[in-house]
Amino acid sequence: MSRFDGFTERAARKLAMHVSRRSFLARLGALLAGGAALPLLPVARGAAESPPSDDPTSCDYWRYCAIDGFLCGCCGGSATACPPGTEMSPVTWIGTCRNPGDGRDYLVSYNDCCGKGYCGRCFCNKNEGDRPIYYPHRSNDINWCAGASTSVYHCSTAVVLGVAEEAQPEK
Amino acid sequence: MRDAIVIGLACLAASGSVAQAARETDYALQCRGCHGADGAGVPGRVPSLAGVAGLLDTEAGRTRLLAVPGVRQASLSDARLAALLEWVAVRFAPPGAAAPGKLTPGEVARLR
Repeated sequence: MSRFDGFTERAARKLAMHVSRRSFLARLGALLAGGAALPLLPVARGAAESPPSDDPTSCDYWRYCAIDGFLCGCCGGSATACPPGTEMSPVTWIGTCRNPGDGRDYLVSYNDCCGKGYCGRCFCNKNEGDRPIYYPHRSNDINWCAGASTSVYHCSTAVVLGVAEEAQPEK
Repeated sequence: MRDAIVIGLACLAASGSVAQAARETDYALQCRGCHGADGAGVPGRVPSLAGVAGLLDTEAGRTRLLAVPGVRQASLSDARLAALLEWVAVRFAPPGAAAPGKLTPGEVARLR
């Protein structure tokens, strides 16, 4: 028993001579601070983004990059056509979305369909290139049914107009 | 010498098509949503663009044009906005209309 006590005493003294309490506290502090900072790394944010989808009833479909409303494809219409009983607003706003299939930017017209109450299905709120409402021609927060014969909003389409060639880079 | 002329003409044609593409894209992003692909607007709600050519002919007309909120707030450089307005004036002018006046980037910067 005395041999065990002697071994333990020597080991404890050796440890105390080579490792200071200050060094232990510094390493513990670095570990805690480093662990708390891990979720802030850009790797974590990148991994949280949704991948583009090929499904035109998904908010992640590439041409919906700036849509704010209910997808007409879930409301009896399609990505380019209004449901029966509604009319397409003649005024709208137009933005650009990048097609991951060919890497090119396309002009997309987000025409609202009007004349029935809220569809209520497939709500999406994407805002690439969207501007505050005081830039009305570049804002998706406006009820564009104001330009139709009725201002009752039902759902939104995303009509591709063509390639956005030679676009001026946004400031 | 003939090759140099051919290459020069090809470069001119290419730069013209690039400028045309830029005007069409700018029109789509800044104007087309309300004024439509044909510039006709919506009767009683959104004015036609056929009158832009007439506005460019006078100082008062250019001042009025640059005071339109959608024009003044266009997210384009002064040079690009001047080129777009001249393109709109020609593109949607009534048949037989005279060539519209010019607009310089400096004038756009002063009036917008």
